[in-house]
Amino acid sequence: MGVVIEFKNVTYSYPLTDEPVIRDMSFTLEGGKFYGVIGENGSGKTTLCSLIRGFAPSFYKGELQGQVLVDGKPTVDYGPGELSLKIGYVFQNPFNQISGVKDTLFEEVAFGLENFGVPPEEIEERVVEVMKMTNILQLAEKNPFELSGGQMQRVALASVIVLKPDILVIDEPTSQLDPEGTESVFKIIEEMKKEKKTVILVEHKIDLVAEYADEVLVLKDGRLIRKDATAKVLTDMSLEKEGVQLPQMAILGNRLVESGVPLRYIPVTEAQACEVIGEAIRKGGK
Amino acid sequence: MNEKKHSIKSDFSMLAILIIPIAVAVNFVGGQLASLLKLPMYLDTIGTIFAGMLCGPWVGAVAGGLTNVVTGIANPVNFAFIPVNILAGLVTGFLSRGKMFSTWWKWLISMVLMAFVSIASSAPIVVLVYGGVTGSGTSLITAAAMAAGANIWAAVIGTEGIWTVVDRVISFLIGYLVIRVIPARTLVKFGCGENYIKKPAKTGK
Amino acid sequence: MWREKLQLHKTNPIAALYPSCKFLILCLYAVCSFVLGSIGVGEGDYPLFLIPWFFVVPILSAASGVWKRFVHAFRAVLFIAALILVVQALLIPSEKVVWQLGFLRIYQAGLKSGLSLSFSILNIAGMFVWLFQTTENKEFTRALEDSGMNYKAAYVFISSLQMIDVLGKNSRTIMNAQRARGVETEGNMIVRAKAFFPSLVPLIVGAITSSEERVLTLESKGFDVNGPKTSLFELKKSGKEPLAGGIAIVVTLAVIVGRIVVWVL
Repeated sequence: MGVVIEFKNVTYSYPLTDEPVIRDMSFTLEGGKFYGVIGENGSGKTTLCSLIRGFAPSFYKGELQGQVLVDGKPTVDYGPGELSLKIGYVFQNPFNQISGVKDTLFEEVAFGLENFGVPPEEIEERVVEVMKMTNILQLAEKNPFELSGGQMQRVALASVIVLKPDILVIDEPTSQLDPEGTESVFKIIEEMKKEKKTVILVEHKIDLVAEYADEVLVLKDGRLIRKDATAKVLTDMSLEKEGVQLPQMAILGNRLVESGVPLRYIPVTEAQACEVIGEAIRKGGK
Repeated sequence: MNEKKHSIKSDFSMLAILIIPIAVAVNFVGGQLASLLKLPMYLDTIGTIFAGMLCGPWVGAVAGGLTNVVTGIANPVNFAFIPVNILAGLVTGFLSRGKMFSTWWKWLISMVLMAFVSIASSAPIVVLVYGGVTGSGTSLITAAAMAAGANIWAAVIGTEGIWTVVDRVISFLIGYLVIRVIPARTLVKFGCGENYIKKPAKTGK
Repeated sequence: MWREKLQLHKTNPIAALYPSCKFLILCLYAVCSFVLGSIGVGEGDYPLFLIPWFFVVPILSAASGVWKRFVHAFRAVLFIAALILVVQALLIPSEKVVWQLGFLRIYQAGLKSGLSLSFSILNIAGMFVWLFQTTENKEFTRALEDSGMNYKAAYVFISSLQMIDVLGKNSRTIMNAQRARGVETEGNMIVRAKAFFPSLVPLIVGAITSSEERVLTLESKGFDVNGPKTSLFELKKSGKEPLAGGIAIVVTLAVIVGRIVVWVL
């Protein structure tokens, strides 16, 4: 698959502000890949998502220089609602992601499909499928306003996945979840990747990014300071000075190499660490 | 920036559409809270007022009218007051557009005007449809004034009038406090929001 | 099977009528009320026909199987109507005194206008109570949308009803929190009026700022997309609408003819 998203010298500032939040950003994202976006708070991650989805500048107004292209067409040229079929956007606060007009969770998840005019039989099929996948089918008859933060987050994800967009932009989907819930959300996202969808995920939990993302984008003060394969970015110790939190396994690996333990490569996930450190120990043991 | 053009259609932006339910609910909750705190006022136009302030007259009017439609479902007597609430939204919206909420004395004029409009619009309904009493706390005073020999119009305007003025003062104060707390980056997205942003003193950063 | 659960299954034939048919009945009933109210009876020209006519409302509600809900919702209307009757009869002075007990006097003009106002309200508001107690909100919006109302208007209506629930709950939470923090909610009126502000302002501000994200939510879910929408909830006609509407029209015509006959005689 080719390029689906392209930033051409993008600089963007919100209204009433002097300082741009995104500065001179250029990059391309390819279809079917899983991108992790990391960076400190206020580095422009959420704004990046809004730009991809076209909410900046269409809703936030403000000033956009350069171009954001989705499937080769600038986001500002898409008509109302057109991008919602292409890009599914799940944002941070799950409590504001319900329609506010539905009595049951089942109808809530179906809301988007009704808007797109999908026939009722198909709606039911798709909604049931997605609710099973996100493990919320047992809540189907509950009132959307009565859910916990974690359940809300899964509902938010489900009601976007059900639309089957090609691109998924997900902004910190696990802030309200415990480790178990987080893991399950990542399993869902992985499922999306298997379906050849492009995933752009903002996430603080670096170990999970290390495990699932194909490539990582690192943002700092509105600039893109690194974009490369996950293993390359997350083992780059110089990023620590830029305030980027690296996975524990990568730090451990680096320390081991520094202290003379010969590792075949620097691990970023637990599984990799087990593999290379195990190798080294077995070799050393001989 | 040159004068903004207004069309009714552009007034009803997505954000304005979402403000209407909030305004309706605030009207409702305000009224409930007022009776919970045993205040002798209705305080049920606060939502209409900030909807009008933020989004202009037409959105304010819809918020006002819809409030009485919705409360009318529980008690159809409220249907009769639909015009009063619509008018409140319209007047606030036009005042907001005319930048009548920029200085304290303009606020004062606006409040007096609003109080006058709501008395003038509700008194005929109270007298002609309800014969002077609507079952609220002030009805007793109205009835007492009538018993003392006052003309029904004088009794209604006299008693309802005082509380209406107090009601509007409190409602506008809340509207003012709300708008002061909302961050500027949110305010700019509303049709009339710019009127409430302190001119950005260009800080030479 | 999920879709089936979302549908309404009404067994009562009157309650199952299509909303627009019920609304037609309501309008015709209001017309009849005005016509009957214009017939003056006896020396004082009292609109006495309104009183027996009013019995249609509770009978219809009972026949629709919503008697309990009707009584519950109707109490507020009844209270106001009674209040109006008493105040008007006792306090609108005219030369003719119909009845006197000590200092209480019922005046003829007051009694006439009191009867007219209170029974008009009972009739019309009562019929609205019947309509709302036999029809669910989603039936109204569905019917309005099916008849061409803009989906945004439908959204605003339903969302308002939900928002009242949500903000109502939030306001109680905030008020309790304020109480715990020492904001006084009892005492003289100034104290109570002061408690009003900290309870309401954060509620409104929170709701307004969260509506920003709500806009994005709706746009993400294709609320703005041009083209036909579908709905999981379907509203069907029960088939008895022509019969019910027909009866209402016949009764109305009979009332109007009767009025003309009384006039001519």
